[in-house]
Amino acid sequence: MNGYKSFREELGKLLVDVGEKAENVVVVTADVGKSTRAIMFGEKFKDRYFNVGIAEQHMIGFAAGLAVAGAIPVVTGFATFIMRGWEQIRNSVARMNLNVKIVATHAGYSDHADGASHQALEDIALMRALPNIVVVVPADVADLRRCFEKLVLKHKGPVYIRLGRDYAPSITEDIEYDYEIGRAYVIREGHDVAIMSAGVVLYEALRAAEDLAKLGISASVINVLNVKPIDVEAIVSIAKKTGRIVVVEEHMVFGGIGSAIAEVLAQKYPVLMRIIGASTFGRSAKSHEELLSYYGLDRKSIAKTVLEVIRNRA
Amino acid sequence: MVKGDAKPILKPFESIEIERITTVIEEARKDLLVMYNYEKHIHLESSLSSLEIIATLLLRYVKRSADPVNRDWLILSKGHAAPALYAVLAELGIIPKSELVKINSINSMLQNHPEVAVPGVDIATGSLAQGLSIGVGIAAWIKRVGGGGRVYVIIGDGEQDEGQVWEAITHAAALRLDNLIVVVDWNGHQLDGSVKDIKPKDYIPFVWKAIGWKVLWANGHNITSLIIAVEEALESDKPTVIFAQTSKRGSRVSATNNDVS
Repeated sequence: MNGYKSFREELGKLLVDVGEKAENVVVVTADVGKSTRAIMFGEKFKDRYFNVGIAEQHMIGFAAGLAVAGAIPVVTGFATFIMRGWEQIRNSVARMNLNVKIVATHAGYSDHADGASHQALEDIALMRALPNIVVVVPADVADLRRCFEKLVLKHKGPVYIRLGRDYAPSITEDIEYDYEIGRAYVIREGHDVAIMSAGVVLYEALRAAEDLAKLGISASVINVLNVKPIDVEAIVSIAKKTGRIVVVEEHMVFGGIGSAIAEVLAQKYPVLMRIIGASTFGRSAKSHEELLSYYGLDRKSIAKTVLEVIRNRA
Repeated sequence: MVKGDAKPILKPFESIEIERITTVIEEARKDLLVMYNYEKHIHLESSLSSLEIIATLLLRYVKRSADPVNRDWLILSKGHAAPALYAVLAELGIIPKSELVKINSINSMLQNHPEVAVPGVDIATGSLAQGLSIGVGIAAWIKRVGGGGRVYVIIGDGEQDEGQVWEAITHAAALRLDNLIVVVDWNGHQLDGSVKDIKPKDYIPFVWKAIGWKVLWANGHNITSLIIAVEEALESDKPTVIFAQTSKRGSRVSATNNDVS
């Protein structure tokens, strides 16, 4: 069936859910209420919905103020333009460890038609560098559903949730696990190599592992949705088991998930490693999937790199 | 500035309060000079320029309690004037006076820009314009839940070069935040020199007015003048900005070095 569900449609529903559960949940957006589906919350809870206008820097500071005064603000915006408020996230939110939830949609290549200006490929690096903030990259709609309420209502402190737009192939729908901050999840067992990934490219990683199995290669696939804090223990233990790691990320290979994993392994247990991701700006295309293939993030390219890694060691 | 009706701004006994504020300011000014003797990296001139504004707001207006929506907030968005805030807090006994001269020492709670770990500091600042947006957020939530708290934000004139200021004040006007009072320390200087040489700002008060703010003027080194303006701001049905004319040398101190970072 491969439920082709949409990140933003699910986000709209989840915002309404948390809004019903806690009356201090507030949604803030910078004139992308329709595009992010935050408007679904706004229609239901008119007086808890703030469209600050096209003003991302102020949006972050405004949300910080709401949090100081006792609300739980969920900031929604395009990942690229939330980066415009990065220094505000640093100085107004993270520095005071405020309970601000940032949900960045349209990340990676998901805004396929709008091209380089709209395709956020640096946001994980930026957010990951900040103290106090939790960075989460859900793989699919099920993953988002699993973590959302916990991150918004249970966890106290700043959170950055990175989502795509619509394209969200089902990966974890049929897998059962409880979401916990800081944990990585093995979604396919294997012993020759481990493919670590997060977001929609985890789907391609999983398909690559299936293709590799046909060649007699046993690839483990790990959902590293918690980028910060990262699951040091799981990463080290998987590295010990497989001795080879390939990271697949819809982000620059500089400072992203691959870097986070490399930081762990370089210091704890160095193994052969490759990072597959972006090394330059994106461009317009007809679909998100087309861009993933174009930039080498499809199952074929992933399998090819995994084979190279295996041969290097064999 | 003085309105035409017969209502006095201050009740007779309130002159005692003015004396008290004056005393705190005099002592805090001495504290600042002592601090500067120990630590040349404090932004002395900016601190002197904001001193009366900070003291008047803290002593007369800002009421604190544990309930975030039924208390007042003081945000020093021009965070480099932190030493003035510390000196006033010390005179009020909120932080130990002995701590002042330790500012910027590795183990001191006092740093060149305010951190919330310091008792009496409501919001960490230091990056210009950000305190203002935070103030708009606090004021908005207070209004939304029907709280009685007010938000006071102190900004600088140079600070208004930041685009975020305009993002924030247009939003505050749209929300009609009548519980938000901004005081501009209008001292005519920014880091690299005189405001008029760098980016003239004479038009700025008109822009606030055009956006929908009530605009008032005060002598930022004169407590009575500040009080008259704040009392009028409290009556406003829209957000109010007070342009407090000041001098970087404060009201009484002779020349010091420029406090360049």
